[in-house]
Amino acid sequence: MTPASAPPRTVVVGLGNPLLTDDGVGIYAARLLAERLAGAGAGVTVAESSWGGMRFLDLLAGFEKAIIIDAIQWRHGPPGTVYRLPPDEAVPTVRAVSFHDISLGTALALGKKLGIPLPTELVFLAVEAGDVLTVAEGCSPEVARALPEVAGLAMDQLAAWGALPEAGCTNSGSPGTL
Amino acid sequence: MTQQTEHAPRAGRKISIDPITRLEGHGKIEIFLNDRGDVDRAYLQIPELRGFEEFAKGRLAEDMPQITSRICGVCPTAHHMAATKALDDLYKVTPPPAARRIRELIYASFVAEDHALHFYVLGGPDFVVGPTAPAAERNILGVIAKVGVEVGTRVIAMRRRIRSIIELAGGKAIHPVFGLPGGVAKRIRPEAQAEIRAIAADAVDFATFTLQVFDDLVLKNPEYVQLILSDAFTHRTHYMGMVDAQRRVNFYDGQVRVVSPEGTEVASFGAPQYRDHIAEHVEPWSYQKFCYLKQVGWKGFADGAESGIYSVAPLARLNAADGMATPLAQQAYQRYFATLGGKPVHHTLANHWARVVELLYAAERMKELADDPELCDPNVRTLPTQAPTEGVGIVEAPRGTLIHHYQTDERGVVQKANLIVATQGNAARIAMSVDKAAKSLLSGKEVSEGLLNMIEMAFRAYDPCFGCATHALPGEMPLEVRLRSLDGTVLKTVRRG
Repeated sequence: MTPASAPPRTVVVGLGNPLLTDDGVGIYAARLLAERLAGAGAGVTVAESSWGGMRFLDLLAGFEKAIIIDAIQWRHGPPGTVYRLPPDEAVPTVRAVSFHDISLGTALALGKKLGIPLPTELVFLAVEAGDVLTVAEGCSPEVARALPEVAGLAMDQLAAWGALPEAGCTNSGSPGTL
Repeated sequence: MTQQTEHAPRAGRKISIDPITRLEGHGKIEIFLNDRGDVDRAYLQIPELRGFEEFAKGRLAEDMPQITSRICGVCPTAHHMAATKALDDLYKVTPPPAARRIRELIYASFVAEDHALHFYVLGGPDFVVGPTAPAAERNILGVIAKVGVEVGTRVIAMRRRIRSIIELAGGKAIHPVFGLPGGVAKRIRPEAQAEIRAIAADAVDFATFTLQVFDDLVLKNPEYVQLILSDAFTHRTHYMGMVDAQRRVNFYDGQVRVVSPEGTEVASFGAPQYRDHIAEHVEPWSYQKFCYLKQVGWKGFADGAESGIYSVAPLARLNAADGMATPLAQQAYQRYFATLGGKPVHHTLANHWARVVELLYAAERMKELADDPELCDPNVRTLPTQAPTEGVGIVEAPRGTLIHHYQTDERGVVQKANLIVATQGNAARIAMSVDKAAKSLLSGKEVSEGLLNMIEMAFRAYDPCFGCATHALPGEMPLEVRLRSLDGTVLKTVRRG
């Protein structure tokens, strides 16, 4: 499962706003993942960003593989539901997403057009958010409960990519600890 | 977009344009059609963030530049700067000259980057690609297809280099950490100044080039000029913007000046007096508070000198000032007014041109500050000695006048906080713009994608801020148009994308 060659240059980006209740779930998940990785000795970069679109390109440039974690309001499940989104669903049509920036899909297409080296594999993890308009630190309890699951999914993906050291030589296989 | 739509207007319907995507309720246009299929009234609904005052209460005022810069993902540097200036006022300290220059350099860089991003990425597609072009082409990729890959590369590279100034001088580009009461956290070293000077010089070239792009692709197209000048996109309101002692546009500091729809000065005030001039109105259909001029009064959503509605951001700033403080921007300013029929300019879509004029000013100001020998003076802090009570800080954010107001106890712990964000200053005029564009463009016509986009253009020109959530997964959701009868029954949901 783990290739013998050098591990791929890999980044995990938590997106969101840590001052808007559940909007920050991507950031909190990234922080939890960083804690777990610290014990694993992996060369994975973990980043936080409140910006998407164009400004997001700077974070992804130069990496081969990327995991993106964000809040979502899909109403496909109760707050705290975790989705793993296939890339083509996550990168749909090309048009402006907000009035202030472009969508991730457009940003990636732009990067490609301009010859910026971008990840060839992207995995999107999203968590159904409840409250995203109240200025407060920390998620609601039902969303916070999803954090270990998200971090676990990210760890599994990193292992599948060979981005983690060989199992057995570190303590990377201890999911569920907080 | 509008792939599966039925176009013909039916009687008594409500059309919702929901352009913000991931989060329900984030900016939505509701259009009510009367029995004849004409637009009865159109509303733009913007949610307000809740709980900021409670969140701020009990925190140290000196933490506010960091906290407030995280509230909004769009203009963190504007909040950081407004909060920092409020701290100057709170502790009654004046930053040393070098600190003021460093702050203004960072701020001019931020405005330049933000304005450039808006022009090429957000506003540009409407004009460079065309307002009725298919949505799939009306984006930055369409712009690049029109202006060439090398221009795209130049835009991206320039943006990154301008941001590197903010990193060099301000710590972190995304959430700056430089602002302290009475100054900044670190000086600029002479070896960094050379690099900053080179970037600033390139920024001036880039801004000049951008003005040329606007000239070639917009002003030389009679259709676009006609659109800018059309009545559908015109409102005669008051205008607000910060000016220096010579009444020239200033983003960082000065007096807030207000001019009437005829262009005469009706107010000029410093930060502590803002409450004598700005009041907020509440409507039952929106959580947003609509700012108006207290001394003129709220007279409903109406144009004219009798109505207290005012506007902020590039169009308003150019109207509220007597000129620009740098030579190339001043030339551009004069040409702008000469072309658009004198002052004030009331055409909402002229915001795009005004934004490019301001981009040029920001770049020239960056260069002036970068070249200043005093920039590297190591004295960058005046230490506070007074017990704090109350402080107000005002800056011109890219999207308009931004006000931070804190009251504290003698230890500097916040007891009360009030923010008036830029988009609130434009809220009433945006509401009128959306209503007027819908009435002018939609009534009696088929609801086509191009027309819906032109209604969106009425508020995209202001670059309104919806507070947060600039990131989105998955990518973007389709725009939803909901058709309802007047009793609220959903007749049909149309999705574009």
